[in-house]
Amino acid sequence: MKKIFEVARWEYVEKIKTKTFIISLILTPAILILFSIAPTMLTDQEVTHTKTIGIVDTSGLYIKGMKDKLSQYTIEDGQPNYIVINLTSKNRSLEDLKKSADKDVINEKIEGYMLIENAGTDSVSLSFRSKSLGNHKDVSRFETAFNEIRIKIRFDKENIKPYLLDYISQSVELSQIKIEESGRETTHDFLLTFFSSFIFIMLLMMMILYSGGMLIRSLVEEKSNRLIEILISSCTTNELLSGKILGLSALGLTQIFIWIMIGISLTGTAVVPLEAFNNILPILVYFILGFVFYTSLFVGIGSVVTSEQEAQQITTYLSFLLVLPIIFVLPALENPDAFYIKILSYIPFTLPSFMMLRLNISPVPLWEILSTILIMIISIYLMIGFSAKIFRIGILSYGKRPTLKELSQWLKEK
Amino acid sequence: MLVVKNLRKEYKNVVAVDNISFKVDGGRIFGILGPNGAGKTTTIRTVLNIIKPDSGQITFNGKPITNEFFNIIGYLPEERGLYRKSKVIDVILYFAGLKKIPRKKAYSEAKCWLQKFEIEQYIDKRIEELSKGNQQKIQFIISVIHNPKLLILDEPFAGFDPINQILIKEMILSFVTSGKIIILSTHQMETAEKLCPDILLMNKGKEVYNGTLNNLKRNFGVNTVKIEFDGDAEFIGSLPAVKNIDRYSNYAEVQLDEDVDPSEFLKILVDKISIKHFSVLEPTLNKIFIDVIKQTQTQ
Repeated sequence: MKKIFEVARWEYVEKIKTKTFIISLILTPAILILFSIAPTMLTDQEVTHTKTIGIVDTSGLYIKGMKDKLSQYTIEDGQPNYIVINLTSKNRSLEDLKKSADKDVINEKIEGYMLIENAGTDSVSLSFRSKSLGNHKDVSRFETAFNEIRIKIRFDKENIKPYLLDYISQSVELSQIKIEESGRETTHDFLLTFFSSFIFIMLLMMMILYSGGMLIRSLVEEKSNRLIEILISSCTTNELLSGKILGLSALGLTQIFIWIMIGISLTGTAVVPLEAFNNILPILVYFILGFVFYTSLFVGIGSVVTSEQEAQQITTYLSFLLVLPIIFVLPALENPDAFYIKILSYIPFTLPSFMMLRLNISPVPLWEILSTILIMIISIYLMIGFSAKIFRIGILSYGKRPTLKELSQWLKEK
Repeated sequence: MLVVKNLRKEYKNVVAVDNISFKVDGGRIFGILGPNGAGKTTTIRTVLNIIKPDSGQITFNGKPITNEFFNIIGYLPEERGLYRKSKVIDVILYFAGLKKIPRKKAYSEAKCWLQKFEIEQYIDKRIEELSKGNQQKIQFIISVIHNPKLLILDEPFAGFDPINQILIKEMILSFVTSGKIIILSTHQMETAEKLCPDILLMNKGKEVYNGTLNNLKRNFGVNTVKIEFDGDAEFIGSLPAVKNIDRYSNYAEVQLDEDVDPSEFLKILVDKISIKHFSVLEPTLNKIFIDVIKQTQTQ
């Protein structure tokens, strides 16, 4: 036992001092923060110039209304956001007007124009014609304005009181409330859930990749300079393996601890939503179990590797396995009860990420939490056994990488 | 006493160690000799419990080897290398810790050893900042810091300059007087000849000779003379008494037929060339080694 701790301490102390560790400690959350803020920052950017928008409406029913509605919008310095110009003239045909308006768009006289066809009938249609597909915000404003005017025209015709219009145009939004066993209720926000699940899965992935890579590199070093021979003439391979797993897990815990500290200090800000901490306890358990599981796997695989390049290759293959849950984040959010999500949350390789995901989306029954934790613990135990067998022989085989057949022979050996 | 009995280790299609047995007593250096690929390292690795033999027993002082055995072995592998980015003292303390030496004691021992090697100024340096020779000294310290009862040295002199070779040799000899069991594997015959009273000669996994060095010399002793001369000595090779000759421009080692008296042979020579030096040679281990290996290879 003492030797396990001796190995663990060495792995922990020597790795924590490395520059790469310190860099990853800071870089990982920095990247995540960047990923979570950047999109919102970019879309929220203020419009800085006035847009000239044309309108073609041979019926003339909408022109004034649209002008009024769109002039409400202003940009930063109080200038109007849109200048609406009427491109319709009575004695020209629709085709003709379209042609000349299209020309104006191409010559950049106007940003684009709205074409209203069959106005006054039930088959009225609205299109926006521009060089590039319109900005989402602009288009939805045009649409709202148009529809309000359309209803108003009809109301006027039917002599309905205008205040009813306001009533109709107000719609009630459905808000989703997640009921938790404690009786607490939280507002369900798609984006927040997405990001809080995403953050943990990403953190787990980056941590595993980073420390797995580090582990493999150090194994390659020990193998190439035959330090491994001194090591295993000083302790058993199991002690060495357990020590390495323990040391790296401690390293991982340190990292998590520091990240949580960073997270807490940023809570409530746009970067770290409070929701991210809702299920922090079970999430942490899955996080740690997942990390230990993958570390055990890496120790086994790493012992087979004989060169730096191979180490790179293998880390890349394994990273595909880790990215898998990320792909499933969106479908899982849309349908958290899907059968395959349940299945994937019981397979040790994907279990941690999917349970973290499920915990964030909907309440998970206690028995499921306990059974998955148990599965994870058993898997770690089996994985250590598996790795130990490969490790025992792998660390002493130099030169060429063993074939799968050889590997399976190693596993059979007592 | 370390006893190895009927050791056998087979890899895919080679028998790396084939039925090797030997005994090593305390206070004597046991040399395992053999050309590259003879199975020396595999033998050592099985003794060290690094690899499991297919068959055979290893006992230490009459008891089979257990995990506790790890704490009393010191091992200097042939290929050297340490954690390059780590500090000298940290590396030494780590390996001492693995041998269950308390940290405090290990620290004072480490200082003491670094002083012996006159490299105490590097205690807080990173391994990679040290010269190759000094790195090897650290590795040597690691193999002996826990005062092992059994010390296994694989090519301990490789990579050291002559002065440091003497230093290392003296240290090894001091371990002999303190009664340690020492196994030395090498293909430097000169050092083996000076240090090892008992030897095991291996080739292709098999034992070629196992016994004392003196016996070996007696068994393989050949009638050899060494001559230094002036003049053309080409004729010597064709003399009937000569079995084999190793001739240079003014120096030759001549192996005579067993029944030829060296002084009679000298008489033949003095008539033809001027002799500056003539001596009867004890066969060197090097010579025996080459002859024996050649013999077993042609068999």
